Amino acid sequence: MNVIEARSLTRRFDSTTAVEDVSFEVGEGEVLGFLGPNGAGKTTTIRMLAGIIAPTSGYATVAGQRTDGDVAALHEVIGLLTETPGFYEKLTARRNLEFYAGFYPHIDPAAQVEKYLKMMGLDERAGSRVATFSKGMKQRLALARALVHEPKVLFLDEPTAGLDPEAAHDFRELVRRLSHEGRTIFLSTHNLTEAEELCRRIAVVKTRLLALDTPENLRQGLFRRQVVVQLAALPAGMTEDVAKLPFVRSARADGTRLIVQLADAEHDRPELVRRIVELGGQVMSVSEEAHSLEDIYLSLVHEDTR
Amino acid sequence: MNARRIRNIIRKEWAVLSGDATTFLLIAFLPFLILAEGFVVVRVAAAAGGQAILDNAFFQGALSKLIAAQPAVAELPPLDRVGVLLVTQVNFFLLLIPTMIAIYSASYSIVEEKLSRSLEPLLATPVRTSELLLGKALAGAIPAFLMTWVCAGVYVLAVVISGWARLLPYVVTANWYLDFLLLAPGIAVLSFLLGVIGSSRAKDFRNAQNLVLFIVFPIFALIGVQITGVVWFTPLTTVLLAVGVFVVDAIVLRLAVRLFQRESIIIRWR
Repeated sequence: MNVIEARSLTRRFDSTTAVEDVSFEVGEGEVLGFLGPNGAGKTTTIRMLAGIIAPTSGYATVAGQRTDGDVAALHEVIGLLTETPGFYEKLTARRNLEFYAGFYPHIDPAAQVEKYLKMMGLDERAGSRVATFSKGMKQRLALARALVHEPKVLFLDEPTAGLDPEAAHDFRELVRRLSHEGRTIFLSTHNLTEAEELCRRIAVVKTRLLALDTPENLRQGLFRRQVVVQLAALPAGMTEDVAKLPFVRSARADGTRLIVQLADAEHDRPELVRRIVELGGQVMSVSEEAHSLEDIYLSLVHEDTR
Repeated sequence: MNARRIRNIIRKEWAVLSGDATTFLLIAFLPFLILAEGFVVVRVAAAAGGQAILDNAFFQGALSKLIAAQPAVAELPPLDRVGVLLVTQVNFFLLLIPTMIAIYSASYSIVEEKLSRSLEPLLATPVRTSELLLGKALAGAIPAFLMTWVCAGVYVLAVVISGWARLLPYVVTANWYLDFLLLAPGIAVLSFLLGVIGSSRAKDFRNAQNLVLFIVFPIFALIGVQITGVVWFTPLTTVLLAVGVFVVDAIVLRLAVRLFQRESIIIRWR
């Protein structure tokens, strides 16, 4: 069942188009990574999905609620972690959370506040003013705020931006726990490792939706599988001879490595090795060239720029 | 509108206020400064210009309106009539208190949320714009009109201590109660709603204060009409005026909701 559905979402600001014709679905309990460069429309998309701003055209539904109508009901079932935490700095962490929890009729605010202060490891500093908190603590408090009413859907906008590696790691652990609880999570991020680690599917955006799939499918769609044959030495003419083989699409040399693109990598790999040996090559190892999510991302974003 | 959500906003605003010494002191002391100023003006005017006031055509007109509203005043000695006239004016002068507090503290209400970036998470909760704005207005208006009541009590005490106890039956009348129990809350809410509108349209604190001062000016005019004696409010006209102010409160709340452009606030405040 889809929890988030966006249909041709478009948002213009005067003459600038921030988001154009973006459509996608997110299933229940899924963590969707939303990747894109600065100014790609990630925050604008989140704001439209969270009912903070209205689309210029198109529409979205989140947990069965239209995001461009009366949003009070929508806001009872979503949690939003904004790009900047934004707290009442003179109030304590507990008082801040109590304030936000006080808007939801279906929860016991005091119990929920204590639960999430503890979950985020902030219970010992609950009585301290937020102004005294580090960025990582504020970010954890912001996540507690987004969760205090037990939302079904969570929007996280750049949750680990500016955090030190340890704080970012802890934060990812929290997101993983939330995912295991069955919450649907929409994660906007610059951090490709984070996206690959946490998300089943990845959307790459740059005003428009450039791609949306699992990292593996994106890899296969963008880069054909390539076999890397490590040789003891590269005999003269070997690269050209291999390239002429009927099941080989292309071949290139990289030092003593031969990088070969096959029509069918699974089926043709043994035959390739046999023919290389026949041509006088001494095969040391055979592997498949791996493409990182960064390769996919850069390829998509740069292709769109061109 | 949901009363629980409005109460939640009021409680938060008060918690923030209690941690802000400058605003807290302003709300605590400004009303007494206004009161002291009013009292000194009345005493000086009565002491130095009692007879001159009686001879002045403008004040004669005001006195005749006072006597028309309260015929018993005609029985008082001439200088006591002047005393009642002057002491009564301070009632309306005290209604300036919520307006003065609003110029300062309501200006901050939305601007502060913008600057601390706390508005976007707040708008992601189920709170409605009308609840948010009314909550913010009431959070300022309630202490403001409570301070007005305290000042009215202190003023009566000052009148007694300064030797004018005999004038009290002509000052603390039905109209006096209506001014403070009915009109003061209405004017306080109106001042703060207008202040919140100014704050939601302003770019920074200074801009907000200038805007709010401009917006609440009509309230000064309303009070000035009474202070100058151009119009003398009877209990009936005070009740009608108070009802009118509450109707205006409701209209201004609707206007505030329309003028509160959450999209431009969120998008333009980076």
